[in-house]
Amino acid sequence: MDDKFDCIVVGAGVAGLSAALTLARNNLKFLLIEKGKFPGSKNVSGGVLWGSDLAKLVPSYWEDPNAGWERFINHRRLTFLDKESSFSIDFKSTHFNSPPYSGVVVLRSRFDRWLADKVEQAIAESDYAMDSFLATNILVEELVEEQGKVVGIRAGNETFYADSVILAEGVNNLLTRQAGLQSSYVPADHILTGVKEVIRFDRKQLEDRFQLNGLSGMSNEFVGYATNGVEGGGFLYTNRDSISLGLVLGLKDLRNKGQTPYDLLNHFKQHPVISDTIRGGEIVEYSAHVVSSGDRRLIPEKLYKPGLLICGEAANLLMNAGRAIQGMDYAMRSGIMAAETVVKAKGKGDFGNSTLKKYQEALDESYVMKDIRNFQDAVELLHDPAIRESIPNLICDFGRNFFQIRNEPTRKARHLFSQSVRRHSSWRELLKIGFKGAKSM
Amino acid sequence: MKIATLSERLSLVSYRNQGLSDFQPHIRVDTEICNSVCPHHCTTYVCPANCYTKDEQGLVHFQVEDCIECGTCMYACDQGAVTWEFPHPENGRGVTWNFG
Repeated sequence: MDDKFDCIVVGAGVAGLSAALTLARNNLKFLLIEKGKFPGSKNVSGGVLWGSDLAKLVPSYWEDPNAGWERFINHRRLTFLDKESSFSIDFKSTHFNSPPYSGVVVLRSRFDRWLADKVEQAIAESDYAMDSFLATNILVEELVEEQGKVVGIRAGNETFYADSVILAEGVNNLLTRQAGLQSSYVPADHILTGVKEVIRFDRKQLEDRFQLNGLSGMSNEFVGYATNGVEGGGFLYTNRDSISLGLVLGLKDLRNKGQTPYDLLNHFKQHPVISDTIRGGEIVEYSAHVVSSGDRRLIPEKLYKPGLLICGEAANLLMNAGRAIQGMDYAMRSGIMAAETVVKAKGKGDFGNSTLKKYQEALDESYVMKDIRNFQDAVELLHDPAIRESIPNLICDFGRNFFQIRNEPTRKARHLFSQSVRRHSSWRELLKIGFKGAKSM
Repeated sequence: MKIATLSERLSLVSYRNQGLSDFQPHIRVDTEICNSVCPHHCTTYVCPANCYTKDEQGLVHFQVEDCIECGTCMYACDQGAVTWEFPHPENGRGVTWNFG
């Protein structure tokens, strides 16, 4: 491997694999490096891969019975919890039953390995079948720069050279920091810690309990009691024969409130509604990972420098604006776009700023940055303490009164609602949240 | 469903290089900072694998064996006590997720 590569991709997660697939299909000579034993072995997500980009990257992936995804989503639920109740907004539709699906649940250790197989196939079909590589078990320790341009990477005693490097190293982006694109210390302000359990069930029991049909699946997000007052929320996604259940917790708030992630996970699991939902399951894995919040202030100002592009969570491309937690789809799109820019740069023979800045311009014009820009108000609103405290309590209190039948003259719903507002919040607070909500939507 | 303890949870994790008695730690913690100037000792409660503990005297200790590479301490510590790197594939610790 003495020869110089067109591109070195660091990290074989969703962003890096999408970049590599794009490079292979455009007949570029590249090296994809992964520090784990196999692609996906270091990666954790909730996780749903939203949108239909996967169908563009791997056409007809749903026809492959061994494809790496777990279930397609046709059932969405948002649940407000107080101490004893749950009040859900629930939507299920056969509209989502046919491919390309609008979201698939994935377990990364399996999904990324499957996507990596597609990369291997694409390499084999490219002009550089013998010269492009996916190399695992290699830790990239340093970017190699010459005269302000990134020219390669160093791993141990070995240096590999390339015209360009795509960093897809994930949220703990040490090389991005080394390149000076993000400060060396990133404070906890816009970072969340996710903790998750994969809980296995007998497949039939799982399908009956969650009303799954074939490979259909459900995603359920939770706000309120789940996090015991800490910023963030809970999630439950159905896999083939297990569920992914966890919490995403604002790290600064966790620090300020002196709370512990696994204790909060127990607190969530002991809620009567959750404990009924997970009865009979067996924990098969406990995992944790940090994730960025979607606050735009965290995203590096520049996603490129001469010879270098950053994509996916390394560029903190992730957002939860209340509709869905999107990150893997952003990783996929940004990885593809970074690779497309490298293809163009190769064509021009110029890997300098003027060519590589086209990546950031294209990303700015894509749904990824458009959504991140347009929904900052929603991201901020979700951080409002009312969203995790007074609002869920108010909604559950109203539910309790509305659905209770007493054999005595029934009060109008608006009276019951006023009563709940007075008990848990105020009209003033509701107006404030309503105004912010209207603005953010 | 029974509530699991942290050690039961961590017993499900596949750690790398378990046979190596002398592995290279990927996180270095200057506990002198924790035990002198740090006002909150937050790593001792925010770490999802409880790698940071306090002894009876209230002193912070760190062990890397249980680390699941989540990154939490790198952001949570605002005192400059944590130096965080990825574990080396050959002689480091760290995880291989079975599900992820």
